[in-house]
Amino acid sequence: MKKPLQYDRVNKIFNEGSKHAVHALRDVSFAINAGELFCLLGPSGCGKTTILRCTAGLESLTSGHILYGDQDITSIPPYRRNIGMVFQSFALYPHMNVFENVAYGLRVRKLDDKEVKRKVNQIIELVGLADVLRRNPSPTALSGGQQQRVAIARALVYDPDVLLLDEPLANLDAKLRRYMRAEIRRIQKATNITTIFVTHDQEEAMAVGDRLAVLRDGIVEQIGTSNELYHNPCNAFVANFIGKMNFFYAQILACDSHWVKATLYDGTLLSIPRKNYREPIHPIRGDRILIAARPEHLSISTEASSSPSIAGQVSIIQHLGHIVRYEVDVAPEFSDQPLEIDMDSLVESVREKDNIRIVFDQQKIAVYGSDASR
Amino acid sequence: MKMASFFKKIVIPIKRFFQKDLTPYIVFSIPLIFLVVFLFWPLANTFIRAFMDKGSKFDLSHLNLNNFRKFLESPLYQKSLRNSFFLSISVMIFSLLIGIPMGYIVARVQIPAKNLLLSLGILPVIMPSFVGAFSWIILLGRQGVLRHALNAILLPIGIELPPIYGMFGMILTMTLTYYPFVFLLSYSAFSSANPLLEEAAMLMGASKWRIFRTITLPLILPSIGASGLLVFIRSIGSFGIPAIIGGQQYVLPTLIYFRVNGFWDLNGASAIAVVNVIITAAVLMVQKYVVSKREYETITTSRSEQKLYSHWAARLFGTVFCLIVLILSLAPQITIIIMSFFEKWHGLAPEGFTLKNYARIPQVSRRELTNSIYLSSMATFFAAILGSIIAYITERRKPKGSAVLDMAIMAPFVLPGTVVAVALISAFSGDSIISLGGTFAIIIIAYMIRRTPYVYRSVVASLTQLDPKLEESSIIAGATWFYTFRRVSLPLILPGIISGSILTFTTLLQELSTTILLYGPKTRTVPIQIYAAVADGKMGEASALSTVLLVVVFIIVYLMNTFQGNKMADSFKMG
Repeated sequence: MKKPLQYDRVNKIFNEGSKHAVHALRDVSFAINAGELFCLLGPSGCGKTTILRCTAGLESLTSGHILYGDQDITSIPPYRRNIGMVFQSFALYPHMNVFENVAYGLRVRKLDDKEVKRKVNQIIELVGLADVLRRNPSPTALSGGQQQRVAIARALVYDPDVLLLDEPLANLDAKLRRYMRAEIRRIQKATNITTIFVTHDQEEAMAVGDRLAVLRDGIVEQIGTSNELYHNPCNAFVANFIGKMNFFYAQILACDSHWVKATLYDGTLLSIPRKNYREPIHPIRGDRILIAARPEHLSISTEASSSPSIAGQVSIIQHLGHIVRYEVDVAPEFSDQPLEIDMDSLVESVREKDNIRIVFDQQKIAVYGSDASR
Repeated sequence: MKMASFFKKIVIPIKRFFQKDLTPYIVFSIPLIFLVVFLFWPLANTFIRAFMDKGSKFDLSHLNLNNFRKFLESPLYQKSLRNSFFLSISVMIFSLLIGIPMGYIVARVQIPAKNLLLSLGILPVIMPSFVGAFSWIILLGRQGVLRHALNAILLPIGIELPPIYGMFGMILTMTLTYYPFVFLLSYSAFSSANPLLEEAAMLMGASKWRIFRTITLPLILPSIGASGLLVFIRSIGSFGIPAIIGGQQYVLPTLIYFRVNGFWDLNGASAIAVVNVIITAAVLMVQKYVVSKREYETITTSRSEQKLYSHWAARLFGTVFCLIVLILSLAPQITIIIMSFFEKWHGLAPEGFTLKNYARIPQVSRRELTNSIYLSSMATFFAAILGSIIAYITERRKPKGSAVLDMAIMAPFVLPGTVVAVALISAFSGDSIISLGGTFAIIIIAYMIRRTPYVYRSVVASLTQLDPKLEESSIIAGATWFYTFRRVSLPLILPGIISGSILTFTTLLQELSTTILLYGPKTRTVPIQIYAAVADGKMGEASALSTVLLVVVFIIVYLMNTFQGNKMADSFKMG
């Protein structure tokens, strides 16, 4: 029976006490449900791999506890934790063939040959390598995708309590990566092993994970499903990290329990639903705020509209197939970066360098009080 | 409350410690103890003895500088010191003069049989150097063949070549022995320098000479500088060549031997050893600094093929130059092989073809042969274990002070053999706690101390190729440290261990400078026997034994090369 995994105020400081001390994890607390596929997402150096290595026991915690079910596994050495791990480099043994690579964990557990053979065949079947096993070559002769499958099979074969995947797709090319992430989800659901998947690629994390945790500088910023994180990011960092987010400046004019009214630099008035207001908790008239809009929540228009709009100049038009992306320069008082606007189809009359109006979808845009956390 | 904090501070860490896998700590402590007892203690002992009065007694009450004062007072000491410097600097300069052009020619000029040149080029370094020295005696000694021939030509114009003994002989022999370091290092520097850099300079309008002066040379200068200093270190520590061909000219290593063998003055020898080591250490530090400057060689990733000079004059000059150097440096080996089939070689041609030199080996040198094989293989076996474990600790565990460990294990690499011998004698003979004088054990230990670096370096090289994640994934899969080491780490570093061991074994078979101070009647080795035969003027016997040695070493190195590509040659380079 699989159990949940729980992190309780975990701290990790590398080189503690020296002047090179790095506080990699700061009071990290969260829980992963039994059988869940959980993604750790964040920029490089955010501590996601450190959490993984602490879970495996390869790093010891500076303080805090990791619990598997009711059992505190914090000080159990890695070889007694019954964990499976897939490394970014796959770490396959070049001196063993595919079968022996996969069988390694079973040999360690001293299973008899018949049992080893049965389990290896079963897991190889699951990861879709049956015909490779018939030739049973050295793993160095395999393609990247096949090596990946061998690595997953090797980690799963002894039925671990927890499966750890450390950027498992980073070494594959773009097309294979998309295919393998679906495969990983399929295999994980088939075995139902509690899994942590570390990545810096938000698209990958959203596609694969049941739930995601976004990390920054050793702190968990937000935990939720892909849907929650995309539509309700708790702060500007998460909003910007999960998908593209346009930010621009405004000033609060008035607010009540239903609406926040804000003016843009040119006097344009926006009415934003109060539920889209993330921070600060108590808005005051005159506060400078950051308004956030996804590219699909803005649109381009050549004529004046009834909805509030603002002037801009198209700089680049990119056809991306399912959408057309417009990059639009705006006044620096409005935003210091060009806005990205996604349209379902090409706006025929608009060319690069044309002056256009940017129209807001007032129901969808959100407010973040400070721009410090961007 | 107090109880709780006691529990947290003391009991939990202890509990955690014993929950850890303790095998690695136990395994790792063994080589450390070995290093302390057989390296640090003898070296410290030698250092202290240098300040004691003449003799061999260990007496701490009258520490003084008398032994060092000899360098100011005794003409013999002063001459030896001067000789050592003059010899080493000359050998360095001549090696550079021969090695750099040869490296450039082989790398950049279209000449035939490059691979042959490269593999034959390494031979003088692999072969026993004292064999080279005594074969030059056959060629240019009092009765020397070549000397006779040259004198026959030169006498009419009133010049007579002196016999080779002395400074000239030492410089000649050493240069021809050590120039391959410069040759091979500058070859690889010239051939690996990115041609795009030179092409870019050419496109910007620079002339060929300007390109060589401003681009090519500065890029490879650190490599060449390092190889020159390596030659210096080798020359100043060489015992075999000065002992055989030096005649009345003493250098520091032979002076040490003289002090120990002639006067049994360990304390005096220690002082000379200290001086010798200080010089070597200073040069080594310069070399490390120069090598650290070498890093900018590797900034570029894209590269194009090296363009070779194909002008007929360049090709002709290149071929002739390389051929002459190669013939000169291989002349000793060829001479020895010819000599071994004859009774004597006093005129132009050898006289009295015979196989007796070989037939006598089993009778005269049976014990020496078995001793050599026994001592070399025992030392190789233990050095392999020691070197592998220490490499594993410094590379994988990166403990605090692993830099010290790294230095400690590399130190004997540059300590002259005679110095290591003096250190071991002074710590473990006569009235010391552990008395090992005249035993097999002391020779095996000396060999281990001197050659463990070969295995160590070779294993470190394979460990850096080995992704630590392979070991981590094994541990996560449930394997203990020892299981992981046995099934994952060891099989993957085994090629490194084997090539290091073979290098160790072949160099130990020809070891002379340490053995000569440590051997007893029961522990004579083949090189000792050759040395004694040369001293007695039994050239035939010495040649036959040397040929056997040459053939054995050559076969081992050749087999190794065919199994491992050119890696063996690489490991000799920095050696």
